[in-house]
Amino acid sequence: MRGDRLMRDSRVLVIGAGLAGLAAAVEIAGAGLPVLVVDQAQAPGGAVHRQPLPGVRSIASGMQRRRWTRLMAQINAQAERIEIRCNTRFGGMDYTGDALLTGDGRALMQPRALVLATGARERVQPRPGWTLPCVTTAGAIQAELKTTAHPPYGRVLLAGSGPLLLAVAAELVRLGRAPVAVIEAGHPFSHPLSALRLPASYLIEAAGYLLRVKAAGVPVLTGAHVLAITPSADGLVVRVNTPRGDRSFGADRIGLHDGIAPNDAGLPVDGPVPVLRLGDCREALGARAALADGRAGGGRLAAQLLGRAAPDPSADLDLQRQAQRRLGAIYAHDGLTRLSDLPSDTVLCRCENRTLADLRALGSNPGARGLRLDGRFGMGPCQGRFCAEWVGRLSTPAGLPLPHIGSNRWPSRPIPISDLVDPSAEGLEP
Amino acid sequence: MIAQVFWNGRPVPFCEGETLGSALTRAGISDLGRAPTGQARAVFCGIGQCQGCLVRVGTRLTEACLLPCVDGLQAEPDAGGQTDA
Repeated sequence: MRGDRLMRDSRVLVIGAGLAGLAAAVEIAGAGLPVLVVDQAQAPGGAVHRQPLPGVRSIASGMQRRRWTRLMAQINAQAERIEIRCNTRFGGMDYTGDALLTGDGRALMQPRALVLATGARERVQPRPGWTLPCVTTAGAIQAELKTTAHPPYGRVLLAGSGPLLLAVAAELVRLGRAPVAVIEAGHPFSHPLSALRLPASYLIEAAGYLLRVKAAGVPVLTGAHVLAITPSADGLVVRVNTPRGDRSFGADRIGLHDGIAPNDAGLPVDGPVPVLRLGDCREALGARAALADGRAGGGRLAAQLLGRAAPDPSADLDLQRQAQRRLGAIYAHDGLTRLSDLPSDTVLCRCENRTLADLRALGSNPGARGLRLDGRFGMGPCQGRFCAEWVGRLSTPAGLPLPHIGSNRWPSRPIPISDLVDPSAEGLEP
Repeated sequence: MIAQVFWNGRPVPFCEGETLGSALTRAGISDLGRAPTGQARAVFCGIGQCQGCLVRVGTRLTEACLLPCVDGLQAEPDAGGQTDA
């Protein structure tokens, strides 16, 4: 890295231009401190408010659009103190406080504080065939819909568990491509009383999705699990186990989703400057909580940096935590117990192509070191983001803590050497 | 002139601001080659986390789902066996 680009910076560096990161930026800038927000995407928005491509109509709901417009107005009101750089990736912060940014906003800088607001990742349980092309996360389908307002090609099937499946199904219906089926592992509709204790906004949203999906005649199978996905002459075949026996569906595109978790793999825990995790990156509680947490955390950080008294904690977060706990109970299912019944050649680690048989060959309770060094689980480019949870559960006897397979390392993500040595290497990307 | 990128030499149109992953998906191209482990390369998470959609652009591997399309961009499957230049 050329020395002339290393600079001590008076700014607070915020990673992630989604709800949490931008809400934090508004608070920090509002206290008079300059902020640099970076995001790896082409536009601010994060997963929830992913923006349509230029000239494409937004498929966001009125509520979503109002929330985003309000937040961007607050950002714009602080424009002189907030800079947003997109197509810029965070490579990590080392023990000296150097933060590495690559892409359009590439720099090696020493920020005054670091706010990590990288949102959530999707949890996807391994299933036979989950590594085939055209099998993606449900979130990937949703991102396509939000950016292009265009449904994917052919027959779409959604499977796994959680409210996102119905949300994506409803969006597909609205765009004229009703999914062939929604395969939900839980029994969310058999808990009417506990469902009613959710905040009204959750219920209204969910009811809207369900009505639209049902009206389109989409089969929503509950207590159902994907047994296997196999290629066929014309696409994919999904074998599904339901309480009433097994069924098969043909599909061209499959969206899998088993909930969300913090997208925190490889991120620094602390450093020589304050490091703060906000929103789903710290605790996966969804959009409403991310906004509240970003705002509260930004205010707290600004007070800390300026030597002022910390503001009162927000009650919003507890409300959202309760709501998410309730949602978790509504969607509870036995999917995890099915992990150990998977066929032994099921791929667990997508990066290194490691299977359940490979895991069992490590013996009982191999621990994080054995899993990584002998098993190569969590050692591939994704660093365990998509396998660590399942590998940990499968290899650890009940009652023992799960091994921490992903590690907080520098850099946080694979970075081409050319990005580090020669800034002009960016010219390789036309 | 329609703006286009090239996948393995095949022209693929794209919209302004679109990522390579999105343009390829819309063109019906889902198989992005093989990783050195033999695993199929394809878009999975769509947001730069899984590294499953690594493709070769010039001398480097990069996530198709994050790479913005630029007119004339040439991308191809990873030849395999190499992790990066």
